[in-house]
Amino acid sequence: MTILSVAPEVVIVVAIVMLLMVDVQWHPGHRWWGVAAAMGLTGATVAVALQWSQYRGDAGASFFSGMIAVDGFGAFAGMVIFPLAGLGLMAAWPLVRSQGGRGAEFVVLTLIAASGAHLMAASANLVMLFIALEVFSLSLYVLAGFTRERADADEAALKYFLLGAVASAIFLYGIALVFAATGTTSISGVGAYLTGNVLLLPQGVLMAGTAMLMVGLAFKVSAAPFHMWAPDVYQGAPGGITGFLASGAKVAGFAALARVLTVALGDRITDWAPAVAVLAATSIVVGTLLALAQTDLKRMLAYSSVAHAGFILTALVAGSSGIPDMWFYVATYSVQVLAAFAVAAVVSGPTEGRAPLSDYAGLSTRSPWLAAVLGLLMLAMGGIPLTAGFVGKVAVFRSAIDADYLWLVIVGVIASVAGLFFYLRVIVLMYMQPAGEGAGRIGVPAGARVVLAVAATVTVIVGVVPWPLLEWLRNAIPL
Amino acid sequence: MSFPILSVIIGLPVAGALVVLTLRRTELVLPVAVASALVTFGATVWLLVEFEVGEAGFQFVEQATWYKPWGVGWHLGVDGISLLLVVLTGLLFPIALAASTSVTHRPREYAAAMLLLEAGILGVFLSLDLLVFFVFWEVMLVPMYFIIGIWGGERRVHAAVKFFLYTALGSALMFAGILALGFLGGGDAGPTFDFVKLLDANLSHTAQLWLFGAFGLSFAIKVPLFPFHTWLPDAHVEAPTAGSVILAGILLKLGAYGLIRFCLSLFPEASVQLVPLLAVLAVIGIIYGAIVAIVQTDVKRLVAYSSVSHLGFVVLGIFALTTQGLQGGVLQMVNHGLTTGALFLLVGMIYERRHTREIGQFGGLATVMPRYAGIFLFVAFASIGLPGLNGFIGEFFVLVGSFLSLPAYAIVAAFGVVLAAVYLLWAYQRMFTGPITVEENRGLRDLGVRETLILAPLIVLILFLGIYPKPALDRIQPSVDQILQRIEQTTTYVVPDLGTTGFEVPGP
Repeated sequence: MTILSVAPEVVIVVAIVMLLMVDVQWHPGHRWWGVAAAMGLTGATVAVALQWSQYRGDAGASFFSGMIAVDGFGAFAGMVIFPLAGLGLMAAWPLVRSQGGRGAEFVVLTLIAASGAHLMAASANLVMLFIALEVFSLSLYVLAGFTRERADADEAALKYFLLGAVASAIFLYGIALVFAATGTTSISGVGAYLTGNVLLLPQGVLMAGTAMLMVGLAFKVSAAPFHMWAPDVYQGAPGGITGFLASGAKVAGFAALARVLTVALGDRITDWAPAVAVLAATSIVVGTLLALAQTDLKRMLAYSSVAHAGFILTALVAGSSGIPDMWFYVATYSVQVLAAFAVAAVVSGPTEGRAPLSDYAGLSTRSPWLAAVLGLLMLAMGGIPLTAGFVGKVAVFRSAIDADYLWLVIVGVIASVAGLFFYLRVIVLMYMQPAGEGAGRIGVPAGARVVLAVAATVTVIVGVVPWPLLEWLRNAIPL
Repeated sequence: MSFPILSVIIGLPVAGALVVLTLRRTELVLPVAVASALVTFGATVWLLVEFEVGEAGFQFVEQATWYKPWGVGWHLGVDGISLLLVVLTGLLFPIALAASTSVTHRPREYAAAMLLLEAGILGVFLSLDLLVFFVFWEVMLVPMYFIIGIWGGERRVHAAVKFFLYTALGSALMFAGILALGFLGGGDAGPTFDFVKLLDANLSHTAQLWLFGAFGLSFAIKVPLFPFHTWLPDAHVEAPTAGSVILAGILLKLGAYGLIRFCLSLFPEASVQLVPLLAVLAVIGIIYGAIVAIVQTDVKRLVAYSSVSHLGFVVLGIFALTTQGLQGGVLQMVNHGLTTGALFLLVGMIYERRHTREIGQFGGLATVMPRYAGIFLFVAFASIGLPGLNGFIGEFFVLVGSFLSLPAYAIVAAFGVVLAAVYLLWAYQRMFTGPITVEENRGLRDLGVRETLILAPLIVLILFLGIYPKPALDRIQPSVDQILQRIEQTTTYVVPDLGTTGFEVPGP
């Protein structure tokens, strides 16, 4: 069914239009925004779920002259992204309300970003992928600087925009070079050409194109050495939105990266797998070491997200067989990181950028549940068993070992231990240090409560019984 | 399928922890936690009774596949090596919990952490799937970390983080090793983490050495073997009394247990080759731990260092690779759990009264606390290895076993016994004999009924294993022999026996 292939985006666009029209006409305020966003995101989730039920596994197909791929891969990405956007909005609701009338734009931008992110995962053509990437990124640039009155938020947005534009340009050049080498921009077309034909242009053209595609997407997922923007942007962006900024970019970026590498360039895995491995190792080491030195929770989470990008890349060295493992990690980590930033938004304030670690001393007495959830998330990110973080690490490491990248696994496990150091520091602060003078109890807004409850439940349940999700993900493969 | 007793044993403390967390009245927390631990203890005793003596293989086996593509499943079993350690775990937890009446800060969370720790430890001893084993191994760190970090002494945060990171560093490499082993041992049928299937894996010599290194480092840190012991004094001294009892009584055994279960069984060639290295480290640990214990001024630190020395005996016995040595090693693990557990309890009891553990702050305590002094002396004698008490049997077996294969090491190690007498008796002399030197000690009350009851089971067992160790040894022996048989089959090593070697003097 052709209409089903774009149904998620159509639903989102309808929701956006409704939201804006009604808002302009009747000024119903933030309640209406919430209703419209909830309807849009629920509808989109149902649409991707329908896609999943019909096109998962080997049943994938492409539509609109090979522009949109409807397969288990894209559908699963949608099933992560749309709920994630919903959670992101719930966490950001105090921020939305604090912005007065502009709050509507915030909701709209988040919805656009979500549809762009899903399209990134569902593009069957490199040009379509680029458009989706821009739709997604441009909304995020604006969201990062949404609190205009704060200079460091503006700085974050500008920095994000300038570096992101450069990365997009590099990505676009990569598409051009790949097109030059293979004569097509269709992702599966490139793959078919490379398996069936001899390259007419020198090898270097395709290699350079591959490298540029990887660099462009490595920037989006903040893999080292293309991570420079992440800490400043995460720290500067208003607390409420940082979670979606970080998690959405990971899901969409890795979906695009996995599809391009395994489908278009799957035949050349021997060329790019070593590069991915080096990128992974660099990210893991750099992210972990820099996170050790941070004194701000959001900055620490930013560097830890660089390290996590490395762990996720570890799964990709195995090529297409690593995709289920990559999805497992991406899906569980994105929920964790969203919730961790949500805690930061509650403790330090939804419009605030900074979240000094000293604010978290004695959090267990100020708000036991907040401390318990953040503690759980820290353990999960550190890879302690019975949390989804551990299973994710098992998944990506076993992929890498299967592909004979034992050295990468050793780098990974040692870095995980070093990583525990800063995750534990947060727990030490919350549970083993007294709260500062005059620090009272912290009230948790309802939206954040939902986010934290969902994240904690997912992290524990998937951590204890990961088998159903793993079984599922075997069908989340690209066309 | 028969009754899944092993899953129940792991599940009981978890259920207990959940119940404790929902209790509203604080004064009920400790009794409920102790009761829950006692039920678990009852289940382990049932295991002990039903255990088929003379069988070498695993008993009460439970097996189910969880996820085929990963080769991971729920596989539990108990044999002669793990049986006594499981029962020891079951015994020490109710005792440790009952001795925790001084914990007034967040008692609910404390009791829950202890019970979760128990579940983790039992899981480590019982699981036969390497991935599940690792899950328990890692997850157990979290409650211990909180127990030290929240309810510990002055420098508790430092000690807790050090403990966590040291252990996590070791296990990180083991994790990589487990994954690599799963793929190497699985062959064409896909990876497997099933211990019993991996026993048949055909590993190359180099692979064995690397994997032994990865597993061995983790276990060596846990034991702790010299020079990986530096986390231990900090963790012991800062942990609350119950934490120390569990740490010394059981947690350290996990390392030695891992060495026997995984290193010896899975990597026999590497084990035989690395005997000199491990034996040297073990002997250094015995002597070094004892010498450092002598100069301690803090009695808790003294007991902590004595653990380094005693665990050296255990490792020496294991890597003697003789029936007697291994039997002695396993038995000595149980013995050390009983005696050191009792010593830490005793130290905790005096600390509750005086809020100091400095040996110099005491003196002549025997006149005001005769019962305490008597029990202390009794346990100290057991720890030293006085014939008739349990320590003697274990150390004797270790020394005999290692004399057969490593005579030079055995002779040096024997001095450890002498040094043990030095540090413990000297400490006893300074603390208990002579006139009372510090006025504050004059009013100390002797052990109460509750404290005596807590110590009683340990004292009875110390005496029982010292006089009649045969039931324990009978259960250990078949499993130990099976491990040695495997080593003989897969390598050129021949296990020396009392009958075959006699007392030949080895050539120069």
